[in-house]
Amino acid sequence: MPGPPRRRLSLGWLALPVVLVPLGWLLFAGLGRDPREIPSPLIGHPLPTLEAMTLDGDAFASASVAGHPIVVNIWASWCTPCIDEHAVLLDAADAHPELHVVGVIYQDTADGARRFLARYGDGGWPNLLDDNGRIAIDLGVTGPPETVFVDARGIVRARHIGPLTADVMATLLSGIGVSP
Amino acid sequence: MRRIGLPLAIGAVLALAGLVLVEALRPSAPLTQDEQAAAIAAELRCPDCQALSVAESDTAAAAAFRREIADLLAAGRTPEQVRSHFVARYGGWILLTPPNPLVWWVPIAAIVLGIALLAWWLLRVRRPAKSGVEPPGSSDAARARVHEEIEQFDA
Repeated sequence: MPGPPRRRLSLGWLALPVVLVPLGWLLFAGLGRDPREIPSPLIGHPLPTLEAMTLDGDAFASASVAGHPIVVNIWASWCTPCIDEHAVLLDAADAHPELHVVGVIYQDTADGARRFLARYGDGGWPNLLDDNGRIAIDLGVTGPPETVFVDARGIVRARHIGPLTADVMATLLSGIGVSP
Repeated sequence: MRRIGLPLAIGAVLALAGLVLVEALRPSAPLTQDEQAAAIAAELRCPDCQALSVAESDTAAAAAFRREIADLLAAGRTPEQVRSHFVARYGGWILLTPPNPLVWWVPIAAIVLGIALLAWWLLRVRRPAKSGVEPPGSSDAARARVHEEIEQFDA
């Protein structure tokens, strides 16, 4: 009897690839993803309002730099990768006078931050004190160094986790209308 | 096996449905603001540690989260608004619990479905093929004789 029973058996086997192929595809597709890459809900939205005291004792409000491309850099004196990145920031600030750099000091003491700037160079941009960690929360910070790129319309265009290199800096700056 | 299989499966489904209903309808006592804050902290991922909630972590970032939760609740935000506050800044990964509670039931539903399918398959395979021939011992007379013999044997 080579009729119906055989056909039913082969139809049953259909279920196996129907389940296994999508499952395998899902697992395989996961291999190509960078687990350190975290999408930011900030991108495409206006930069949250930043209002804080600076390391120099001045009051800062992000409204004062509205209309300019802004690089918000989250850093700390205890953050080793921030040292190399600091040189990249100094170079970018030198090369692009229209660019506003704003530092946010993350989980650090004012003295520690001052020593860092004295040692590795003070670019003269405002460095915001964030003692209660609220700015870090508003920017969705996971840990320094992190940098947020904002265009002249005040819209966040990119967020970089980890130290900036000169190449990455140039690419992300062009994304906010700052060309070399 | 065939006789108890179906009632067992239906019973299990009914019991699970009852549990879901009881859980959904159970009245919950109103929480204090501190309890609400602790509950929210337990549901948020600590941003600078691995696999710990904000409630469990000692990092400064987790402490900042706990302060922010308390401040937002004190300002009259609902727990849902507080959770959204963090999701809007970090994204969905900051939540340790899935926003849709139905997700918890998916594995249970999959297990129940799997058991049901397995039971159905076993019953179908084990069921003797239907034929016109009556198996030996199925007639009333034969059954009566078996009973008789068992009673004799017991006595």
